[in-house]
Amino acid sequence: MSSKEEFNQISPSEFFYRNRDLAGFSNPTRSLYTAVREFVENSLDACDHSGILPNIHMTIKAVEPDKPDPKHYILTVKDNGPGIESKHVPLAFGTVLYGSKFGLKQARGMFGLGATMAILYGQITTNKPVTVKSSTDGKTQDHFEMLLDIQKNKPVIQKHVKKEISETGLSVSICLEGDYSKAGTKIREYVKQITLITPYATITFDDPKGEKIKQNKIIRSMPPSPTIIAPHPYGIDVETIRRMLVDTHYQIPIVDDKMIEKVRKELGMSKNKFSYADIMKKTDKKWKSLTRPVRVVLSLMSFLEANFEKLQKIRIEDVDIGNNKITYWDYGESQTIAVDMDPESPYYKQLANTVQGESLTHFLTKRFQRVGPTAANQFCKFAKFKPETRIGNMNNQDLVKLSDALQTYEGFRAPDPTCLAPLGAEPLEKGIDRFFEPDFKAVVQRTASAYSGFPFIIEMGIAYGGNIQSRGTKVYRFANRIPLLYDEGSDVVLKVVNDTDWGRYKVKNDSAPMVVVSHICSTRVPYKTVGKENVADRPEIEKELRLALQFLSRKLSGYMSKKGQAEMAKKRANLYSKYLPLVAQFCTELSGNKKEPNYKKMIKEEISIEEKTN
Amino acid sequence: MKKKQTKQDKLNKTKDLINLLKKHGAQVYEDLENGEFPKFLIPNRSISNIIYDKKLRQYVLGTNTSLRSSRNSSQLRSFTQLLWLAFFANKLTHEKKSSTLRDVYYSSQAFAVDFEDQGESDNIIVDLEAVLSQPREDFYVFPEERSSIFGDLTIEYTIPGYEGKTQNLSSHPDGYAIGPSMTSAELVDTSAELVIAIEKGGLFTRFVEEQVDKKFKSIIINTGGQAPRSTRTLLKRLHDEMGLPVVILTDGDVYGEHIAMVIKSGSANAAHLKGLTVPDAKWMGVWATDIDKFKLPTIPMTESDIKRCYDLLKDPRYQEGLWKRELEVFIKIKRKAELEAFSKYGLNNITEKYLPKKLEESKSF
Repeated sequence: MSSKEEFNQISPSEFFYRNRDLAGFSNPTRSLYTAVREFVENSLDACDHSGILPNIHMTIKAVEPDKPDPKHYILTVKDNGPGIESKHVPLAFGTVLYGSKFGLKQARGMFGLGATMAILYGQITTNKPVTVKSSTDGKTQDHFEMLLDIQKNKPVIQKHVKKEISETGLSVSICLEGDYSKAGTKIREYVKQITLITPYATITFDDPKGEKIKQNKIIRSMPPSPTIIAPHPYGIDVETIRRMLVDTHYQIPIVDDKMIEKVRKELGMSKNKFSYADIMKKTDKKWKSLTRPVRVVLSLMSFLEANFEKLQKIRIEDVDIGNNKITYWDYGESQTIAVDMDPESPYYKQLANTVQGESLTHFLTKRFQRVGPTAANQFCKFAKFKPETRIGNMNNQDLVKLSDALQTYEGFRAPDPTCLAPLGAEPLEKGIDRFFEPDFKAVVQRTASAYSGFPFIIEMGIAYGGNIQSRGTKVYRFANRIPLLYDEGSDVVLKVVNDTDWGRYKVKNDSAPMVVVSHICSTRVPYKTVGKENVADRPEIEKELRLALQFLSRKLSGYMSKKGQAEMAKKRANLYSKYLPLVAQFCTELSGNKKEPNYKKMIKEEISIEEKTN
Repeated sequence: MKKKQTKQDKLNKTKDLINLLKKHGAQVYEDLENGEFPKFLIPNRSISNIIYDKKLRQYVLGTNTSLRSSRNSSQLRSFTQLLWLAFFANKLTHEKKSSTLRDVYYSSQAFAVDFEDQGESDNIIVDLEAVLSQPREDFYVFPEERSSIFGDLTIEYTIPGYEGKTQNLSSHPDGYAIGPSMTSAELVDTSAELVIAIEKGGLFTRFVEEQVDKKFKSIIINTGGQAPRSTRTLLKRLHDEMGLPVVILTDGDVYGEHIAMVIKSGSANAAHLKGLTVPDAKWMGVWATDIDKFKLPTIPMTESDIKRCYDLLKDPRYQEGLWKRELEVFIKIKRKAELEAFSKYGLNNITEKYLPKKLEESKSF
């Protein structure tokens, strides 16, 4: 690489613009579908978090209906959610990587990136601004029209007005190039499937051809919303640990006028001059009520034998616990002075603690989920760390060792699933019932499990017969309440379904009117691509899927054998209606009688006996 | 002539059969009328229920019976088939119309009674035989014809349209097929003193050409392999009614020996029937011992030939005398000879040399 080459930093907007294929905006068909998804999912997430039963209205309208596809469409998604505060709107929709979803809990989207991508895509293809209407109080609505400055990653507001309104909610409208004639099937399927996995939402969709789809909510209660939690040890890498340490590791506070004022205030010595001895006396008395930084400053003062005036004239350069020395720059004397610390002094401990940070066990219990004091101690033994090791003393090698050990130690309890928001067996069953109207259905919610420190829950349903029109096993895939419609072939769920020997469960796989609904909930679903359409086959997830499917298959098998018996009974009843008349006919002629015997009653009786026994 | 079957006997027999069929029909009718599911009791024909009756010198069925009930949905179909066959047999017998096994199979379709294949209908026919204890020929169901007869025998037809018409069976050199008309015919007169049953059509023709009928005063019958039951019935009648001894000439192998045995004492397949055996019939050859004696060209036995020998050694009928001895020799030499083997010594060697010699011998065993 020549030194003349220029190195330019590109903005996140520009990065995504150049890599839009990754995010599902590869062509007009896929882009229209992805844009729909992103806006609908944002609306659902917003409603979920505020505990509002979602009511979402979506329209897609062609700008010039008579032109052939691909052409410009206006996509509008309106919800009854909490809205976005006026001051956040420009940043939320006008910059990439600005969002509220950075905590560790389950949500459909991770950072609200996709919506901005959709806006970016719309702007690139049509050069039209995005229209955002938002109301958080249900009284006034902010109406924005803006463009995105791609190079600067900054919104350019073209219009901002306020209007009176009667309900909260957000409406986003973009103009984009799309191909509805090709994407329409998937979009309609998406709208239908979203109600299967979000049965508490009402979704209406006016499509460009004038067709109106309305999916009413099936249930009126929402599943409990997830909580934000600390990370699990399994999900941690070296960089994350380093960041956590910086957060935890207490620095020696900068001793400036502001700090000195704070110390005075806490000691109640703000007005007059005080001698060093007075200050130390007061310090001993008030120690317990002092804040940590003040304690550190006072500990320094004790070794420097300084009062507030002296403290203002020096700058602390180093606190060397190893050699029990404090060095400082004295502005008055213009030189560096070193002072010895007495390790026996009670203030020594305070300084040592501060410089070295908390103990490893303390760090583990406080900053991670599922780690108690016992687990922390056992882990230290496993990882060959002393439990009282100060995290401030750990070097890079130690951190790598710690991170490796955290991921290999098997003693930690499974991740806390409270950050997950599964749909629940009952709502799923209702959704399946309404959606497929099957003869048989069964659902299961597995207990939480984890892969690489990320908790996940598998929910699965199976349905057979009834109104199911498809033949062969049809798989409906969902992840974090999102329907996955593309790239089915490489999905782990399909793999598990295809691996199943359906013959064992009395199901003829290629002709059975059967449906499998699979829902993976996780703080991080391991998608194979950024487009979020297929789930990678992590062994832990595959195993849970398999167990869920086996459980349901056994239930189906029970149903199938009952069904088989009923069919057999029917077949038998048919046999009697077929053969008894023949028997009657032959025996009449053989015996020389003129009239046939009265056997018809027997056929009816026979059928009713069969019905009773089944 | 011991006991010649008269027209009256035959009429009575037919009447009995018709009454029996009617009785079964009436029982089914009555059951239905009473709201009960009709059933048939069928003598069990499985191997475990077939025993050898030393007194009768044939296989007979034991006392085990199985129930075929229309109540049981898995038996309803075969019950209906059986009743239909009884109905059809009644029609045939009444109208004196003959039918073949194959014809029965096809006729069923006209009555909406379905058989999977002819094998299934053949089985039901055997079931009816067992229920009635009468051979199917009695209710006018015959095998496809492959067996034939030649010689000085005058018969009188009883089938409709030919009643009273007589025929001498030496008038046509190809012989006469043993079909329904032959089986039901009256045996009127014969000059023959012997019946020779021969396994193969080829040799049968040769025997006619060589005038074996005249030279040995015999009636020649081609059994066409294992003798069909109509042929066995005719053999029995020639023996019982016309007082003719029966000798059997087969290939020199284990199957030939068994063909002779079946004519003599019946088959396991027909253990449910009596009146098909000729216990006095004699197996003239070709014996295993003849192979060496007459220096016949041979071919080696196959694995299955040898296995068949050992199987038959366990059969109660093969426990003594000629039957056991020959079987053991076959096992020893592991070779067999066809009837045609005699051609090595000239085409008429078998009729000129072998036959007289064996006929002479046969008088002494």
